[in-house]
Amino acid sequence: MELLSKISFNLQSGFDETVTALTKEAVEKRIPPDEIMNIGLIAGMNIVGEKFKNHEIFLPDVLLAARAMNCAMEVLKPLLIKDGIPIKGKVVIGSVKNDLHDIGKNLVAILLKGAGFEVIDLGNDVPAEKFIRVAAEENADVIGMSALLTTTMPVMKKVVDMAKDEGLYSEVKIMVGGAPVSKAFALEIGADAYSYDGANAVETVESFFRENS
Amino acid sequence: MRSITKFAMEDIKLPQKEILRSQGIPDEASLSENFERIYMEAAELFQELAEPKAIIAGIGVSDFEEVFRGEGLNEKENPVEEIFRKSSHLALFAVTLGPVLSEKVTELFDNGKYAIGYMLDSVSSYAADKLADLAAQHLYAEIVGRAAPANSLRVLNYSPGYCGWHMSGQKKLFEALRPEEIGITLNESCLMSPIKSVSGVLIGGPGEIHEFVNSYPFCNTCIARSCIERMRNAVMDAGG
Ligand code: B12
Ligand code: SF4
Repeated sequence: MELLSKISFNLQSGFDETVTALTKEAVEKRIPPDEIMNIGLIAGMNIVGEKFKNHEIFLPDVLLAARAMNCAMEVLKPLLIKDGIPIKGKVVIGSVKNDLHDIGKNLVAILLKGAGFEVIDLGNDVPAEKFIRVAAEENADVIGMSALLTTTMPVMKKVVDMAKDEGLYSEVKIMVGGAPVSKAFALEIGADAYSYDGANAVETVESFFRENS
Repeated sequence: MRSITKFAMEDIKLPQKEILRSQGIPDEASLSENFERIYMEAAELFQELAEPKAIIAGIGVSDFEEVFRGEGLNEKENPVEEIFRKSSHLALFAVTLGPVLSEKVTELFDNGKYAIGYMLDSVSSYAADKLADLAAQHLYAEIVGRAAPANSLRVLNYSPGYCGWHMSGQKKLFEALRPEEIGITLNESCLMSPIKSVSGVLIGGPGEIHEFVNSYPFCNTCIARSCIERMRNAVMDAGG
C-alpha cells in the first residue's frame, strides 16, 4: 500500500522516471497490475485533475503527470492484457484533412490516455475515410476530431455522414473540438458531443461510458 | 514598396505574465517549480529556434478593394471595409516565425515531452501574434522616415478570419503579396504553413479611423474580442 501511495505522490509531482521505477518495483512485488493502475496511477491522476480544476496547478503540471502515467502504463499494459483486464475504452483521434494544427488534439489525446483510455492518434491532415476505416478496424468506441479553422470543419460532417452510411453511427460516439467549433455546430452535423478543452473532453468520454453501463 | 524584413530576436518581447494570461493563468497564480523550469526552457528554445520574418507590400485603395472582396464571402457590413476606405496608407503583410519552431514542438510531443512542447507552442503563438504588431510598427517607421506624418498617424493590422473579413480572403491576398518568398504557403483550406504565421493588411491613418462600435451581428459569437485592444492602441501614443 505504501508503495502505491508513493507512486501516486510521485506521479502528482510529474517525476516520470521515479514513477516508472516504482511501478516496476510494484510489479516485482507481485502487486496485481490493476491495483497498481487504479490505486497508484489513476488515483494520482484524479488528484491532479482536481487540483487543476481548482486552479492550484496548471496545464504543464498536468502534462508532466500525464507523461509519468503514460510511462508507467507502458510497463503495465502487457500485464493487464495478459490478465484479461479490459481497457476502459478506445478513442480514435486526429486533426481533420487539411488541418495541420495539432496541439489541441495532442492535449486531448494525452489527457484521455492519462485517464486510462486507449488512444489511437492518427495525427493531422486526416481524411474522413481514414477516421472511419481505423474506427471500424480497431472497434473503437469514440472518434474525436479537431479543427483550427472553420474552413476545415466540413470534413467533420463528412465523417458523421460516412459513419451513418457505413452503419457505424450507432456503434461509435463522435466528438468534435477546436477553436472555431461549437456545441451548436456539433448538433447541426449530428456529432454526439463537443468539448471546449482537454479536461472537458475526458469528462465527456467518461460520460459516454456511464451512459452505456 | 515591397520589402522583406528579418526581425532581430531582441525585438520580440516575451512578457511571462502576458503569455501565461493567454493560457488562462491569472497574474496572482502561484506556479510550481516544475512550471517555472518548463517556462524558462521554452523561452530559451524559442530564442534559439525562431526565425521571425515579414513581407510587406504597399497597395492602393482600389487594388485593395479587389483583394478584400476575395471570394465574395465577407460579411456585408464589417469594420475593416469602413476603416480602409478612410486610410492614408495601406500595405498587405504576412509574418512568420518559420518552420523550425513547429517542427520542434512536434518532436517534443512525439518524444513524450508534452509540457515543454505545449509551453513552446504557447510562447510561439503569442510571439506570432506580436509579429503582426511589429510589421505595423515597421510600416509606421517607414512612413515617418519618408515624410512627417500627421500627429495622430496610427498603423494597425487586420486579418482575414476576423471581424467579417472571410478567411478565404487569404487567396487573393496571397496572389497579390506572394509571401511564398519568405516560406509561407496557403493550402486549399486557407491554412498557412508554417502554422505560426499571420496574414493581413496594415491600415494607416488618423487614430480615430480605427474606432468603431463592435456590435455587428457576428460580434455575438466572437471569442477573439481583439478589437478592444486594437482600439485602445489607436488612441494611445503614436508608434503603430
Ligand atoms: C493562438 C492563435 C493563433 C496563433 C497560433 C495558431 C496555432 N494554433 O498554432 C497565430 C497567431 C499564429 C494564429 C494565426 C491565425 N489565426 Co488564430 N487563433 C489563435 C487563438 C487565439 C488560440 C488557438 C490556440 O492555439 N489555442 C491553444 C490550443 C491548445 O487550443 P485548441 O487548439 O483550441 O485546443 C483545445 C480545445 O479547442 C479543445 N480541442 C481541440 N481539438 C479537439 C478535439 C476534440 C476531439 C475535442 C473533444 C476537443 C478539442 O481542447 C484543446 C485543449 O484544451 C484562436 C482563438 C481562440 N481563443 O481559440 C485564434 C483563431 C483560431 N485564429 C483564427 C484565425 C482567423 C487565424 C488566421 C487565419 C489569421 C490570419 N489571417 O493570419 C491565422 C491562421 C494561421 C495559419 N497557420 O493558417 C480564428 C479562426 C476563425 C475561423 N473562422 O476559423 C480564431 C478562432 C480567432 C477568431 N477569429 O475568433 N492564431
Ligand atoms: S467583437 Fe470580435 S468580431 Fe466584433 S469587431 Fe471585435 S474582434 Fe471583430
